[in-house]
Amino acid sequence: MSLPSALSDDEGEIFNGFGSAPIQRNPSQSGRRTKKRWSFHNSAKPNLIDESSSSTTGGPGGGNFGFSKTARSRRMSDTNTDGVHNEIDPYHISPAQLYSTESGRLFHAGKICIALAGLPGRGKTHLSVSLTRYLRWLGVKTHSFHLGDYRRANSESNDVHFDLFIPQPDNPKNNEFRQKIVNECLNDMLNFFKNDKGQVAIYDAVNALPEYRKELEEKFAKLDIQILFIESLVTDDAIILKNMIEAAKLSPDYRNWSYEQAYKDYSERIKILTPYYKEMNEVDNKNNLSYIKFINFGERIELYNSNYGYLINKVVFFLMNSRIKSGSVYFARCYKNSLDYTHDPPLDENGLKYARNLTKSLEEYLVANGKDYFKTTPTLSSPVNSAFELAKSASNLSSAGASGTSLSTLDSTTSSVRRPAAGVDGVDDNSFVVWTSAKKRTIETTQHFREKNIKIRHRIQLSQKNPGIVGGMETKEIAEKFPTEYEQFLKDPYHHRFSRAESYHDLAIKIEPLILEMERMSGDILIIADDTVLKVFYGYLMSCSCYDIPSLNFSTDEIIEIKFNAYSNSARRIPIKDFD
Amino acid sequence: MPVYSISHVENVRVCVVMVGLPARGKSLIAQKIVRYLSWLSIKSKCFNVGGYRRELAADVGDFTAEFFDPTNKRGLQYRQSAVDSAINDMMKWFVNENGVVGILDATNSTKQRRAEILKLCRDNYIEPMFLESWCDDQDLILQNILDVKTTSPDYVNSESEYATKDFLKRIKFYEQNYETMDVKHDSDLTFIKLVNVNQQIILNRIESYLESRIVYYVMNLHIKPRSIYLSRHGESEYNLTGQIGGDANLSERGWRYAKKLPELVLKSLGEENKHTNLTVWTSTLNRTQQTASFLPYKKKLQWKALDELDAGECDGMTYEEIEQKFPEDFKARDDNKYEYRYRGGESYRDIVIRLEPIIMELERQENILIITHQAVLRCLYAYFMNVPQEESPWMSIPLHTLIKLEPRAYSTIVSRIKADIPAVSTYKEKGTSQLGEIVNGTTSSKSRDLINDSKCV
Repeated sequence: MSLPSALSDDEGEIFNGFGSAPIQRNPSQSGRRTKKRWSFHNSAKPNLIDESSSSTTGGPGGGNFGFSKTARSRRMSDTNTDGVHNEIDPYHISPAQLYSTESGRLFHAGKICIALAGLPGRGKTHLSVSLTRYLRWLGVKTHSFHLGDYRRANSESNDVHFDLFIPQPDNPKNNEFRQKIVNECLNDMLNFFKNDKGQVAIYDAVNALPEYRKELEEKFAKLDIQILFIESLVTDDAIILKNMIEAAKLSPDYRNWSYEQAYKDYSERIKILTPYYKEMNEVDNKNNLSYIKFINFGERIELYNSNYGYLINKVVFFLMNSRIKSGSVYFARCYKNSLDYTHDPPLDENGLKYARNLTKSLEEYLVANGKDYFKTTPTLSSPVNSAFELAKSASNLSSAGASGTSLSTLDSTTSSVRRPAAGVDGVDDNSFVVWTSAKKRTIETTQHFREKNIKIRHRIQLSQKNPGIVGGMETKEIAEKFPTEYEQFLKDPYHHRFSRAESYHDLAIKIEPLILEMERMSGDILIIADDTVLKVFYGYLMSCSCYDIPSLNFSTDEIIEIKFNAYSNSARRIPIKDFD
Repeated sequence: MPVYSISHVENVRVCVVMVGLPARGKSLIAQKIVRYLSWLSIKSKCFNVGGYRRELAADVGDFTAEFFDPTNKRGLQYRQSAVDSAINDMMKWFVNENGVVGILDATNSTKQRRAEILKLCRDNYIEPMFLESWCDDQDLILQNILDVKTTSPDYVNSESEYATKDFLKRIKFYEQNYETMDVKHDSDLTFIKLVNVNQQIILNRIESYLESRIVYYVMNLHIKPRSIYLSRHGESEYNLTGQIGGDANLSERGWRYAKKLPELVLKSLGEENKHTNLTVWTSTLNRTQQTASFLPYKKKLQWKALDELDAGECDGMTYEEIEQKFPEDFKARDDNKYEYRYRGGESYRDIVIRLEPIIMELERQENILIITHQAVLRCLYAYFMNVPQEESPWMSIPLHTLIKLEPRAYSTIVSRIKADIPAVSTYKEKGTSQLGEIVNGTTSSKSRDLINDSKCV
């Protein structure tokens, strides 16, 4: 795939490069720069009410992309539901976005369609949704188009007849129906590119046949849209089983079905579709398709014709860290003794009480949900960790290269058995890790988890947002002392950086490594941090816009749980009880 | 405390084991990884077995292909002890210096050798990650040989034609025992296989975030030879008055530099390459765009990320004014220039963070000319030349000078072309608000002066 070809109608982006929010120079001020670097001071909130999507240009099937006014305005306030499926506004600015362009597209990457391929039960929906979440977070205007949504929207009786899933059903009526939904979905994708400044459309469908995949590529190539296929292959039956159970429980196809019936139907659907599906191979190679084989959810990734640009490399980077998650992320605020940023006092009486109650409340909740990693009697740390420590002492180096050729006589039993990577957390579904900052108060807050043999990890990136010169001040005081800065802050609380301070945007950039690390952990994680940091994490997991993040509100008597589902994440609040 | 660091570093240690025949770009990749990780403040080091061999077998003299003949007992012995010493030093480094990512740069061409390393790593709780560069594209291989033989210490005193022939023979010897990695036999290992650079890539069992980060970086690399030209903008009106930041226009002398720049580039490219098409990157500020305005190349991009360090409240002030108005800040900056963040502005570390996407894109580019600013150039230069963090903000990068970097397998060649157009110095020594370099003083040796230091590093 030759990426630069798609740049032709993206002159706007090329010309303006990074940060093409029109560069403002004001010569009258003797060349002094009027705009600060990464700030978006001049970008007021987009007017979401008057702005209506222009998807009325009818293609075959009359696209219905574009949300009603109520749907759009709701998005501004409702941060309790996952925003990953919301229509993305052309002028939307994402939490970790580094710059914006007139074309709306970033990284000189042009327009890209990521088409998934694979049988049902291979986690395609999960993949498209999590990828959408990540790309949106980076500021790439991304939307996932699930063919299943179009099928459901068009069939009156929520028909899940198998004929509707195979590539070319014999029944003409069903064949016509299939054509209709496919065209409708594709048309919405084209509208997304054309009218909504979209950059990445993720096409979530089975895409079973090489001929069809080639046809899709040609269709998009004509419009200067590159296509990259990601084929999800699963050879591990345990993963399929896990996906089938989730689909039977949660798929909208089975809303009013009993679990047993749903499970039976879904496994039948997979069985019937299997013979139709042609794995991507030399045929697609010959057709010059760029594709990625994503095997057993990240166990192996194979890239073909892979001279990709920055953006797609970033997608691969994400894929390397993407796992199907069965655990949840829990947020708890750390208890504050004082508001002074620079001080690092230990916990006081109330703080210690908070630590006890937090631990007990969460343990109670987790145990009630069948988790059994809490051990009441502290044991030695896990063998891996203690051995890791041992290995750090020089005395343990006897087996190192010094022994020279004697190494060639190998004990095949030890090296042939693969064990989990040393020091890597959360590999196991049934695992629990606590993350917290390196501050004394957060470390002390975790002491009761440590007693229960829970792994505690300290991450410097979890330190609270540096308040700079306004540290310790009440809003009123800030407004009085720094009236102009305060005014700028009110205009854009997400990006504004007081003197010496960090902005929320700075935090979002800083925690990117943690986000990817979090994505690759399968078990439960508790993050104990200042609410400024939690807001940004929450913003990622629930796909909030940067306008929402500063006004999120977490109270100190609740734990927030974010649960991962294939289609969308959900948040709930767990009260912290008083056990004293 | 680093503001921005790769997470997980505290838990995971990785040994990157290079795999591949000679002339597959292994050393280049290995060194690049070290450069990149160090730039991001992650402790990493490369252990090049070839270097150990040359040291241990110094008495052998010339390393002709016969030395690598698998039936040459003496050669084998030397090569084995070279591997052992390299591995031994690496393990010591992991333990004694808390190394995070060690790279074993050798052919590691047999399954047995890889199994040995695997066992050793696992016994010491270091994650082994095999990185194979596999290539059957003859053009690419020859290109690499050309590169290796002009810079490899093994062929310092050899005729070029002889060196190529001898090197091909050496590869033949290695091919006799070479066993590639594949999905079938190595499915249990963490490995990356690059086929013909990046035509096809296999990523098997990437187990940690740190590993994924390394892979992500390697994916953005290519080993085709190329030149990277770096230049500051021409002298600006602010440079004349000693003000920092701002968005001023070029001075009269600055414009002269801009007009002369196309000629300088052509001269450096040489007659045979005069039609080479460069990509030109500038910042979004006037002075870099004006500097680029006479260049004949079509592909010109502006990047916000290449803008000069934002001096925040000090933007538009002279160093003297800053010293007067914010004496504490002025001192704080001199004490730790890398970490110091201007009031409402940026630090050098902030620049490194915003440059990261650029670095990735830069790795994918071929011949390129970047016109940017002093602080940004220091960071870019530090990346390519592996300059330590404490030193990079103090490097002297004079105006009206074109710098050329040619990344090679064993080193990066630096050359510079002075435009011979006078300009003010914008270099500020530690502890003063006065500009200009002290030519005969003691301080000049402390700073990494590009002019004096621009030989092959």
